[in-house]
Amino acid sequence: MRWHVVVLSLTIAAAALAQPAAPTLPPGYVGSETCMACHEDIYKAFAKSPHHPVDVDAKRGWQGRACESCHGPGQKHAESGDPTLIRDPANLAAAAADKICLTCHLNQPTQIGRLESSHAHNQVSCTACHKVHGSEPLVARKTEATNKLCASCHLNEWAQFQRPFHHKLPEGDMTCVDCHNPHGSIRPVMQQSFAGNEPGCFKCHGDKRGPFTFEHAPVRFEGCQACHEPHGSANARMLTRANVRFVCLECHANLPSVPSKVAGVVPPSFHDLNLPLFQNCTVCHQKIHGSHVDRNLLK
Amino acid sequence: MKALLAILVALPVLAQQPATPPAVPPATTTTDAPSPVPSTEPVLTGWIDLGYRWGAGVGGSFDTYRSIINLGSGPKFLGADFTLTDPKHKWFDTIQVRADSWGDEPSSSVHVEAKKSGVYDFNADYRDFAYFNFLPSYADPLLSTGVVLDEQSFDTRRKIAALSLDIRPGHWWTPYFGWDHDSNGGTGATVFVSDGNDYPVPNTLSDSTELYRAGIRFEKPRFHVTLEEGGTTFRSNQSLYQNPQGSTNYGNVSAPILGQTLDLTNLLAAYGIGGSSTYTKALLTANPTTWLDIYGQFLFSQPSSHVNYQQTDAGNLYLQSQVLFYTSEQDLITASSQQPHTSGSFGAEIRPLKHMRIVESWLTDRLHDAGSSAGTETLLNPYAAIPLSTLLATTLASNYSQEAIDIFYDATSKLTLRGGYRYVWGDASYASLPPEGLASSAQEQLRQNIGMGAATFRPSQKISVTGEFEGGASSGVYFRTSLYDYQKVRAQVHYQPLQQLSISADFTLLNNQNPLAGTKYDYSASQESLSFYWSPHGKIFDIQGTYSHSDLKSNISYLEPETLTPQLSTYRDNAHTGSALFDLAWPHGKRFAPKLAAGGSFFISSGSQPTSYFQPTAKLWVPLGKHLNWFSEWQYYGYGEAFLLYQGFRTHLVTTGVRFTP
Repeated sequence: MRWHVVVLSLTIAAAALAQPAAPTLPPGYVGSETCMACHEDIYKAFAKSPHHPVDVDAKRGWQGRACESCHGPGQKHAESGDPTLIRDPANLAAAAADKICLTCHLNQPTQIGRLESSHAHNQVSCTACHKVHGSEPLVARKTEATNKLCASCHLNEWAQFQRPFHHKLPEGDMTCVDCHNPHGSIRPVMQQSFAGNEPGCFKCHGDKRGPFTFEHAPVRFEGCQACHEPHGSANARMLTRANVRFVCLECHANLPSVPSKVAGVVPPSFHDLNLPLFQNCTVCHQKIHGSHVDRNLLK
Repeated sequence: MKALLAILVALPVLAQQPATPPAVPPATTTTDAPSPVPSTEPVLTGWIDLGYRWGAGVGGSFDTYRSIINLGSGPKFLGADFTLTDPKHKWFDTIQVRADSWGDEPSSSVHVEAKKSGVYDFNADYRDFAYFNFLPSYADPLLSTGVVLDEQSFDTRRKIAALSLDIRPGHWWTPYFGWDHDSNGGTGATVFVSDGNDYPVPNTLSDSTELYRAGIRFEKPRFHVTLEEGGTTFRSNQSLYQNPQGSTNYGNVSAPILGQTLDLTNLLAAYGIGGSSTYTKALLTANPTTWLDIYGQFLFSQPSSHVNYQQTDAGNLYLQSQVLFYTSEQDLITASSQQPHTSGSFGAEIRPLKHMRIVESWLTDRLHDAGSSAGTETLLNPYAAIPLSTLLATTLASNYSQEAIDIFYDATSKLTLRGGYRYVWGDASYASLPPEGLASSAQEQLRQNIGMGAATFRPSQKISVTGEFEGGASSGVYFRTSLYDYQKVRAQVHYQPLQQLSISADFTLLNNQNPLAGTKYDYSASQESLSFYWSPHGKIFDIQGTYSHSDLKSNISYLEPETLTPQLSTYRDNAHTGSALFDLAWPHGKRFAPKLAAGGSFFISSGSQPTSYFQPTAKLWVPLGKHLNWFSEWQYYGYGEAFLLYQGFRTHLVTTGVRFTP
C-alpha cells in the first residue's frame, strides 16, 4: 500500500514538473502579458511585427518580456499606471533612444554608414522612421509610403519634385531610397552605391558608367549634380541652367588657367554663340558624359 | 505516515505556478464568444485595380506632353497588392506581390517578397520605364528655319530588374546572393559630326548591364563583418545611319565652304562596346567596450571597357586640318580603358562621458582611370586615298580624403548640441597624349576647412526644432563652380499643437563665393517650405498642404568664346510651389460611404526660365459591395514656358475603374 502511495506521489510530482515552467522574471519585470492588460491593441499588433520573435525566442534573452526589452522593467508602471514610471523612447534624447535599438542592431551592415549619416548627425532617431509596435509596417516598403515618410521632414526636396522635369517620385515609380541610403553611406548626401563604390546613379543609368577612354572629369570628380538637379528642375534634362551653353561655359570660360586655379577653363573654343548651332554644345559634343572613341566627346 | 509525507512532498511541486503578475486593473471588456478556429489554409488578402483611361487630347505641344507626362488612353491594369499568408509556415510565412501601372503605361513595376522566418528572405523587383524625350527647343539648330527636330531626342524603354536572396536571415551567419539588371533600348535622333558640318541622323540605342553578387554576413553581439564579391558585365551597341541611304542630308550648316556645299549621303556607324568589372566589399562594425563603437569599410572595384567602333560614310565631306574635300570615309577605332577605384572609411564613436559623444571619421576615395585608343581612318576622293592614323593615351586620377570630428553634447534630455570640424584634401589630374590644343593636361588640388554646428531642441513630443550650420573655406577646388567659400544653413521645425493638427517647416540656405580673379562666382540659393496636416474629424475629413518658395541667384564671369570679351553668366530662378490634398468620406454611409479626394500641385517660376506647371486632380471612390469598389479620377496637366510658348501643353485625363477585393 505504501509503495502505491509513494509511486502516486512521485507521478504527480513528475507530471507537475513536466509542465512548461514560465520563464522566471528578473526583479522589476512583469512580462509582456501584463502589459497586454492595458495595451491590448499594441500587444496584438506587436504579434505581427518583425520584432515578435524577441518575445517568443528564448535565444534572444527576452522571452516573454519583449515590451520591457525596450521600455525597461515595468513593474512600477504596471502597479501604478503612472506613465512616468516606464521608459518611453519617444521622450528620450535621440541618442539615448537609438542606443536601445542599437543594443541589438548596432552590429549589422545597415549601420555601416552611420557615422557619415546626416540623420545621426541631426538626432533623427530610429523610431522617426521605423514603427516598432507593428501597428504600421516596421519598414516603409511601398513606394508611396516611403516617399511620404521622407517628405514629411524633407519638405524642400519634395517640393523640387513638383517641377516639370523630375525623377518620377510623385508618380510612384521611384522612391527616395532608390538613390539615398537613409542609414548613411560612404558617398556624399547619403547616396546609394552601385557595384561596390560607384555612384548609385549608375544602377539605372548604366550607359553613363564607363569607364571611358576619354572621361569628362566633372562626372567623376563632382558627380552628376555638377550639371543636373537630381530632384527636379524647370530646365530640360533637369539641367542646372536654362541654356545648355551656360552649363558648359561656367566652367569652360576661356580663361587662362593659372589665375583661375581650376580645371577645364581653357577649351580650344572659337564658336560663335550667336549661331543656333553653338547654343547647345551637346548637339556636337554629344558624348558629354564621356567618350570611348573621341577626345573632344564628339562621338 | 509515509504516504502523507509523499503527498506533502508532491504538493509543493504542484504549487509552483507561473509567477503571478502584479495586480493590474481588470480588463474592461470580456465576452465569452467562442474563439474562431484558426485556419490552416493559406490566406489571401489584397486588391486589384482595373480600369480605362480617356485622354481629351493634348492642346499645344504633344512632344512636350510625351516628354513630361506620357500617359495614354486605353485599358489599364492600374495596380494590385496581394499578401498570401501560410498559417502552417510550410514553405513560406508570407508572399507579398505588388504591381503598378501595366498596359502601355510610361512606367510599370512589379515587386515580390517571399519570406520564411529564419530560412530565407527573397525579393524580386522589376520596373519598366518609357523614356521619351523630344523637346522642340532643346537641341534644334534648325528651328529658325522651320525644322522642328530635337537632335538629342530619345524614344527608349529602360528595364530594371533586381533579385536578392538571403539564406538563414536572423542567424549569426547569413549568406546572400543578388542579381541586378539594367537595359535600355529604342531609337532616337543624334548628330553625325564631321568637319565643317553636323548631320542630324537617326540612331538605335541598346545597352545592358548585369550585376552579380554574393556575400556572407557574420553578426555577433560584439561585432559584425560582411564580405561581398561581385561583378558586372556591360554591353552597348549604339548605331547611327543615314535614312534612307543615298538620300542627301545637308546638315546643320548650309553655308558653303570654299564654294562647296557639304552633304552626307550614306552613313553607317556602330559602337561595339563591352565591359566588365569585379568588386570587393568588406564591412565591419564592433563595440569592443561599452564606451566605444567602431566602423570600417573597404571597397574596391575595377571596371574596364573595350570598344570596336566602325564607321563608313559618304557625301561631299571636308577635312579642315588639311583643307581637303573627300567623298567617302572609313574609320576604325579600337579603344580600352580601366578604372581601379578604391574607397575606405574608418570611424569611431567614443562616449567618454554620459552626455557626450565624440565621433571621429576618416574617408578616402581614390579613382584612377587609364585609357588608350588606336584609330585608322581612310579618306577617299576621286584623286587619292588618304590614310590617317591616331594613337592616343589618357589618364584621369582623383585622390580624395576627408577627416572629420564631431562632438555631441546632450545638454539636457531635450537639447543636443553638436560642433565639428572637417578637413578635406585631394588632388586630381587629367592628361591626354599626344597633346592637342590647349587643354590636354590639368592638375588641381583640393583643400577645404569646414566648421559645423547644430542644435536639436525637443521640449516635448509635440515640438522639435533642428538647426544646422556648415561653413567652409577653401584654398583649392577642382572647378569654378565648386563649393569654395560657402555657408550652408538648414532648419526644421515640427509642431503638433493639437492631436488633429501638425505643422512642419523647412528652411535651407546655401551661399557660395569664389572670389578668385577670373572666376568671381557668386551663388546664393534659399528655400523655405511650410506644411500642415489637419484631420478635424478623424476618418471623415482631412486635409494636407505644402507651400514652398525658392530663390536662386548665380553670377559667374566668362569670356565670350569667339571674341574673348568679358561676359557674365547670370541665372535666376524664383519659384513658388504648392500642393494640397483633402480626403472626405461621406459621414453617414458606414461601410458603403463614398469618398472624395481632391487637390493637386502647382509650380510657378520667374527668372531665367519662367515656367508654370499645374496638376490638379480629383478622385471619387464608391463602394459597391463587400468586394467591389468603383472609382473615377480626373487629372489635368498644364505646362507653359513664357519664353517658348510653342512648347506648352494642356490636357485632361479621366480614368475610371473598379477594385476587386477577394
